Amino acid sequence: MIDFINYLLGGVGSGAIIALMALALVLTWRATRVVNFAQVGQAMFTTFIALSIQTATGNWFVALVGAMVAGAVLGVFVQYLVLRPVSRMDTSGAIIATFGVLIALQAAAGMIWGGDSQAFPQPFNNSAITLFGQEWPLSIYDLVVISLAALMVVGLTLLFTRTSLGLAMRATAFNPEVARLSGIRVSRTLTVGWALAGVVGGVAGVLVAPTSTISPNSFDILLVFAFTAAVIGGLDSLVGAVAMGVGTGLIISLVSGYSDSSNAPVVALVLLAVTLLLKPEGMFGHTKARSV
Amino acid sequence: MAELMRKPGARLLLHLAIVVAVFVLMMVVNDHVDPLMNYYIALAAMYATAMFGMVILVGLSGQVSLGNGALMAIGGYIFALTSMNWQTVPILGLPWNGWWSMVFAGIGGIVFGLLIGGLGARLTGPYLAGLTLGIAVGIPAIANRFPALFGGENGLTLTVPYPEGGYAAVDAGTDYVDPSLAASSAPVASAFPSQAASVAPGDLLTASNFPSAGPSVAPSVAPGDLLTASNFPSPGASSGAGDLLTASNFPSAGASSGDLLTASNFPSPGVSASAVPDLGGTDVSGGTGDNGFVIEHWQASLAVLVACIVAFMALNLVRGRQGNVWRAVRDDPVAAAVSGISPSTAKVTAFVISSLFAALAGGVFAQILAYVGPGAFGLGLSLSLLVGVVLGGRSSLFGAVIGAVLLVWLPEFVLNLSNDRGWSEQITNNAPNLIYGLLVVLVVLVAPGGIVGSVQSLIAKVTKR
Repeated sequence: MIDFINYLLGGVGSGAIIALMALALVLTWRATRVVNFAQVGQAMFTTFIALSIQTATGNWFVALVGAMVAGAVLGVFVQYLVLRPVSRMDTSGAIIATFGVLIALQAAAGMIWGGDSQAFPQPFNNSAITLFGQEWPLSIYDLVVISLAALMVVGLTLLFTRTSLGLAMRATAFNPEVARLSGIRVSRTLTVGWALAGVVGGVAGVLVAPTSTISPNSFDILLVFAFTAAVIGGLDSLVGAVAMGVGTGLIISLVSGYSDSSNAPVVALVLLAVTLLLKPEGMFGHTKARSV
Repeated sequence: MAELMRKPGARLLLHLAIVVAVFVLMMVVNDHVDPLMNYYIALAAMYATAMFGMVILVGLSGQVSLGNGALMAIGGYIFALTSMNWQTVPILGLPWNGWWSMVFAGIGGIVFGLLIGGLGARLTGPYLAGLTLGIAVGIPAIANRFPALFGGENGLTLTVPYPEGGYAAVDAGTDYVDPSLAASSAPVASAFPSQAASVAPGDLLTASNFPSAGPSVAPSVAPGDLLTASNFPSPGASSGAGDLLTASNFPSAGASSGDLLTASNFPSPGVSASAVPDLGGTDVSGGTGDNGFVIEHWQASLAVLVACIVAFMALNLVRGRQGNVWRAVRDDPVAAAVSGISPSTAKVTAFVISSLFAALAGGVFAQILAYVGPGAFGLGLSLSLLVGVVLGGRSSLFGAVIGAVLLVWLPEFVLNLSNDRGWSEQITNNAPNLIYGLLVVLVVLVAPGGIVGSVQSLIAKVTKR
């Protein structure tokens, strides 16, 4: 039982990161009905930028802000140059284009920072907290990760529910034509959605990097986890992405704890397959997985 | 002529003629190029085999799938495991040879194609792409999970059934012996009969079991000597030119972003085998003749043969009724269903066919590299298959061939350019992928038909005027 609780708590930190990445996927899906498979590529790229800033300044917060800014810029760049012209075409084309961006970003990162795995310095104490005379499977760093993720979720919720920009984004996601007729500048709203996704993905990248290493394709597995979480959550539900992101993190932590961490990708695959088989619209979503 | 082509029999004959012509042409080309070029031809043919399936799946039936790299892994591992463990074919009891492993690899591909297709046919667009992305990452991870069976991260090295043993049942003689050496290579057959009887098919011609067939036959130059488990460099060892396929120099999933399997980062027997004696000039029968066996030549012959068989199947499917069924389902599933076509059956069929092709390509992969491992079949391989198909032309079989050639040629081109300009390794290794990624985006934006589609529309424009 104590094992179970330990594994569960250990999964909250990684779950929060998966939730953020899933959130980024959902943001772009809501904005443009495109699953941005290049999202982890963008996150990887901005995390490398953050690593460079961290190395230069030694300040983790500056690096984090740098990653957020770079994420927004890169998100706008990708949406403006690639997805906006493609979105008028077939869905196959848009999906293939995002993979093209992913390949190009990974290669560019390899050119600039090299293909080897690099350590991202641990900004906070990463050893287990001792409380009430007992060690807990959480570190200060985990708490930072969880609070930052929670902060982002709260911020996004406020943005979507309390601001006119959020209202415009919701309206655009609901029906772009009607939104345009109501005077919303739809294309600008879509771009904002991509920028936001870039920021969220950038934060996720910076948060996940110190827990392992960073290399041009070290985030591939995160893409699988995040996509799984986003689909289980319903793909157009922010709440669903966060809840299922944390849930996926917990399940992976439990499986890794009781068996072996190399099972994680297979578990994610099974979760994804079962969800798509039984409830393709996800737990929180309204999007139909099949149009016929 | 057009009238004639409507008859199915005539079309079948035409396709057969095309494929046979290409095969003969490639065999002639094979005989007149150096082993390195043989090796590139083998790689391109292997890519093309898998990409014919991608054309059917992505181009014709409109299902963007990234699972085909993983399906190649299934074919490759089935080939490796059966060739390592079987002396005879189970149930049938016939003596095993390499073709049996190919058959079982194909069956494995069909089974997994049914499984994945059964699930995938219900899905569209990003859902399917995401699921197959999970498959591309998840299935190679299974190899890590069961290291005892699949060799874990290091993968499996296998004894390739070179023609003297495993493929002997098929008369592969003309495939691997240079015709110019055919007369003098006759002694090969007479020099080997004793060992054909005494050596089990599975482990032919290794350094250890190589019988001294003739006084001047040096074991160190036997064909099987190159790539056996016994003399294979161990993954940890950092030996020189001999370390063809160790874990350290093999592109692994997490190693680098030059992770798309390309000719330049592919460990190539032809490239790195400078310490390996040139088999083409090996003295076999007491100094009177060459045995003429060049491994790369045999690899190219095998890969081209498999690619041609697959191309024949693909041509008949794509240009026949089934091709129209797939196009109808891709363009408008509802209209197709109204016309009496079952969209889900058509989609599953596309999955099964493409899985079969991918698994056969995986079997060829295992034989070219004498190695299968999770890193070799990672997401990078799936992505490079997608890149090749998109660049060549999404719904054209000929485009797949062009894409396959491009996948092999571009890294070499960049490498040569880099040697001239003195680029760093970091740039050289990643430049092909950067070009691929940008080209894919560009093609999707301005020329969705890829190279073949663009040329076709150009010709159409010119001829109209």
